[in-house]
Amino acid sequence: MKFKMLESSQRPFASASIILLLLLLLARSTSARADAVSELASFSIFNKVDLAQLAKSEVKTAHGSPMSNPRFLAVQSCYVAPGSPAQQIEALRRWDPTRHRELKVFLHSDLPSNPTAASFEKLKNAPDNGPVRLLVAATQKLSPDLQISRDEAKKFSAGSAEKPPGAMPVSVTAFWTDVLTARAKSFVSSGTSGQPPYDHGGKAIRASEELNGLLREQEKIRRQFSGLLGATGIGRGAGSLRPELYWELLDVDDQGVVTLGASYSRSGANETYQAADALYYASGGYYVALTLYQMWPITVEGKASTLVWRGDMISAPSLGSLHGVERLGSESVMMKQISKSVTLFRRDTSGGR
Amino acid sequence: MFAEESDSWLKSILPFPGEYVVEETYVGDGDVRRGPHKSVRDFDENDSILQLVFTPRIRLGVLRLGAEWERFSFGVPDNAPLPDTLQSVNLVIGLDTQLSDSILIRVEAQPGVYNSGLDDLSDDFNLPFVIGGTYIYSPDLQIVLGVGVDVERKYPVIPVAGVRWKMARQWVLDAVLPTPRLDFEINRDVTLYAGANVKQTNFRVDDNFGDAHGIPRLNHAILSYSEVRTGAGFDWKVSPIVTFTGEVGYQPYRNFDFYRANVRYHQDGGAPYGMLSLHGAF
Repeated sequence: MKFKMLESSQRPFASASIILLLLLLLARSTSARADAVSELASFSIFNKVDLAQLAKSEVKTAHGSPMSNPRFLAVQSCYVAPGSPAQQIEALRRWDPTRHRELKVFLHSDLPSNPTAASFEKLKNAPDNGPVRLLVAATQKLSPDLQISRDEAKKFSAGSAEKPPGAMPVSVTAFWTDVLTARAKSFVSSGTSGQPPYDHGGKAIRASEELNGLLREQEKIRRQFSGLLGATGIGRGAGSLRPELYWELLDVDDQGVVTLGASYSRSGANETYQAADALYYASGGYYVALTLYQMWPITVEGKASTLVWRGDMISAPSLGSLHGVERLGSESVMMKQISKSVTLFRRDTSGGR
Repeated sequence: MFAEESDSWLKSILPFPGEYVVEETYVGDGDVRRGPHKSVRDFDENDSILQLVFTPRIRLGVLRLGAEWERFSFGVPDNAPLPDTLQSVNLVIGLDTQLSDSILIRVEAQPGVYNSGLDDLSDDFNLPFVIGGTYIYSPDLQIVLGVGVDVERKYPVIPVAGVRWKMARQWVLDAVLPTPRLDFEINRDVTLYAGANVKQTNFRVDDNFGDAHGIPRLNHAILSYSEVRTGAGFDWKVSPIVTFTGEVGYQPYRNFDFYRANVRYHQDGGAPYGMLSLHGAF
């Protein structure tokens, strides 16, 4: 496999102007490829990428820059995917992680721009498994591990223990429906700045501060995405870009967790794209998570492809207690999970490479 | 509150992240025997450990730089042909690094003085080291392979294999030497466990040890001391950087082996033991 930005003309008598045009296009395309690699090097951990090799291989992952806050962790990855950046963005939008059991996402549902309690109907279909039972138990006793505000905690009413088919009693479903609806509405109107703190269990943790902290410790990345992030509700009030909202029920360390997310994307110069996906609320397991994407158009064997950089950042209380080799191991696990997730995404969207 | 304050204080005075151990074990009266007629009876043991290892992060991984002191004190009678003290004072120099997103490697050397006291350090230097790898099959299952190398040991290279398996939410089988354990996590702060501690270190006794005990070939001889403890205990996470461990159990195996001089005292009667430890990472 080799990169070729344009096939050279096979006609021996092509006019000089066509040859000149082709040469110009070739020069422009080659420089676009070089630009992608040098731009990638300018803000990421990947300061030397061989595109030819990367296109042949699976996703390349690396530790992000070390961060001073012990509960922060970052991993960066890059890969080449078939299709244009616009197609990649569309594929990301359509991708359904619940199709893959190993990703441990039990429920995923898109939210309308004006979320209501009905948007969380699927909670009634939560599977009856260990992690979900633990979430139910933690909710019923209002465990201090639950990441909710004091005001939200006051709203829980043990009420009816009636348990319809499915894992969650009515009172638990109603509680989480209320919490998620209010937080999703608040995100639409005020971004993460409007999110109530997690202060039910003690020290107040604010989603906005966590997201800004993650970005502050990775200055080059923050600068690269400042334009996009400035137009979102990530780490600030509601932005000018319209988010794609969703919620999920997933398994984090064997504990059921309900989470709210928002995705943004926008095109840049030369068909490039940037995207941001923030999990701005989680009932447990982690405080916030942020995934950023930078995509450049390239050509592989004459086919339109995309060079993708992905940065995953997470703030989680459990990371704070990890040191030395345990932390290294944790980063390895995160890198492995990202590789797995990207591999599954590429398989689903391109039939694998 | 006090825990939080002490954590901040400790972090403020130490320049790098690291880990520490302060541990004391008392083993009750036990016996060892050499052949049918020679034995040392009813002697107890204290095993004290102090360890401080800094673990700064570098581009290659996590450095391990520190020092360790371990002292075995045996309540043996004066005329017993066994040393009453075995002691090691060593540096810890190592690196944990990542070979791929599935493989972590540890290389660690413990250069230092391994002898029966600090009187004569002339040539009691030794440099045991370990090279090991962890294969991360999944977040719940890791496989460990490695070798321990000590040129003073009867078998200088010993392979080690183990597995760490999170079997269920509260259960972890950490079957990795030298401290294989089965953990049951009661809650975030308290874990109960049952397990073993396998120890083997090589010490050099002093220049006149043989003469003093009527066996001249034991002068300055290498002694391989081994013991196995099996027991149950608890880890109580007092604060994010302080864990208190208590353990009781039985010592079923102990061996004093001057293997080059062909003099060996092996276990003839086990003994109960108790251990207290403060350890953590910051």
